[in-house]
Amino acid sequence: MAQTSDRSKYLISPALVIGLFIVAAYGYFALSSFFAKGPPGTQFAGGPTFDNYWRVLSFGSNQEVLLSTLWASFVISVITIGVAVPMAMVIVRAKREWIGNLIMLAIAVTFLSGGVTRAYSWLILLGNKGLINLGLTSLGIVDAPIRFLYNWSGVGISIAHYLLPFAVFTLIGAVRNLNPSVEEAARSLGASRTTTFWRITMPMLLPGLMVTLVLVYSIALASFLFPMLLGGGKVRMIANQIYDRMFVEYDIPYAAATAVVFLISAFVSIWLISFVAKKIEKAVS
Amino acid sequence: MFRRDFESKFGIAVTALATLATIFLLLPVLFVVLHSFSPTRYFQWPPQGFSLEWHQNFYNSELFMGAARNSFLMALIVTPLSLVIGIPASYALVRSQFRGKAIIQQIILSPLIIPGVVTGVSLLSLLSTMGVRIGLFGLCLGMLVFALPFSIRALSANLLGLDPRIEEAARNLGAGPVRTFFAIVLPQLKSGILAASVFVFVEALDNFSISVFLTNDSTKVLPVAAYQYIKDFDDPTVAAMATALIVMSVIIVAFLEKVMGFQKSLRL
Repeated sequence: MAQTSDRSKYLISPALVIGLFIVAAYGYFALSSFFAKGPPGTQFAGGPTFDNYWRVLSFGSNQEVLLSTLWASFVISVITIGVAVPMAMVIVRAKREWIGNLIMLAIAVTFLSGGVTRAYSWLILLGNKGLINLGLTSLGIVDAPIRFLYNWSGVGISIAHYLLPFAVFTLIGAVRNLNPSVEEAARSLGASRTTTFWRITMPMLLPGLMVTLVLVYSIALASFLFPMLLGGGKVRMIANQIYDRMFVEYDIPYAAATAVVFLISAFVSIWLISFVAKKIEKAVS
Repeated sequence: MFRRDFESKFGIAVTALATLATIFLLLPVLFVVLHSFSPTRYFQWPPQGFSLEWHQNFYNSELFMGAARNSFLMALIVTPLSLVIGIPASYALVRSQFRGKAIIQQIILSPLIIPGVVTGVSLLSLLSTMGVRIGLFGLCLGMLVFALPFSIRALSANLLGLDPRIEEAARNLGAGPVRTFFAIVLPQLKSGILAASVFVFVEALDNFSISVFLTNDSTKVLPVAAYQYIKDFDDPTVAAMATALIVMSVIIVAFLEKVMGFQKSLRL
């Protein structure tokens, strides 16, 4: 036993060195949030202060960006899961296997083609004269082009699209664990398909849905490129605010305080979602 | 009889929704490929012909080719390193008990729960305080730090599915720990290694939130170059870059499918 433990020390130490390096970086950055902005080329100066936190928490624009990041991420995650559930069900349950394989292929290619590619594509697709608006107007669904860019709708669409592969991958496991005979039992006892879906399938799927929600929510919170590109400065999420404070205002302590407040609210909101999820699961079962 | 009824009818609504979702998923990927062959600078429908101008533009651009060199160089350095460091680490984390294991695991995996932008600024902050100039070294270090947890997670998932008794049997038959590792463990880790390398490689090429902080003009990488180009120019050259990346990802998927079936290899 002592020998095993000795050996694992050597096996793990390179990774641990790297881990300690990044934890040191986090710690140092968090530390700088308690100081004032330093002269160019330095990280921070002066004595300890809570000034940056006061600025982050008291300015209306900061509160707005924080709250809209949390709320929008939640809404986008819920919508994404709504889109992902049918995909996961078809992948797992389709009688013809090629259908499921085809969807998996589409997900894999999209997933691997990267975020920048997709952000750019949505930028062109969602323009006033883009394919989406062209389709909507020529089909007579809308009279005038809808403005998707530089507001939450375009940013939300692109983030949902980015989250979708993660959601489907996670849900596949949950759907696979469902026992179809329970649903069949409900049907044979006279429940309609819709009733069976909402009263039997969904409650059984609930734990999986909640795990997926927490995962995609945490990815959505970190969105940076999509609001930057499709929000055009009008839609800003926390990550964009941190970036601007680093590279526009060169105020590292302010950026650090923003990041600390962001992380704390992210963890609290994730904890809250998990807490509510457990309550719901208990109530349902 | 009843089962069939349940599946087929229930399937229609769900299948329709899944089809729409798949169209939504594929639309930007297919569209950007189409757009890269556009004869006009701006999007037009139906396309008025076919042009390779943007592809030529991309492959002749000093900005993009320099960025592609940096990106691939970085990905080719970071991917093997994340395996060489990640395989022993995940073996230790999965197979043995030692003091402080939980906290060590937390430390190593911490970039998984911290948003990329925060990891990026933190690294930039520490590196510049340490006097490390932002260059290829800082960029590779940053990407390694960020990608290692993903690699360890994929490898650990694979290791958890392996039966440790096979290793014990090898040891009992007289094989040393090194030989057991190379002859027994490593061959069984094939799918985890493949998944980890695909993920790290793609992440290294695509990551924006770390690299935007750790690059300068001489170490610009593809996503950062693309972002700057989109801001300054309004033409489909970035669509040509996207097409190249999509072709690469199709090749990767085909390769994974051939080696082991991608359903198995994409359990990340």
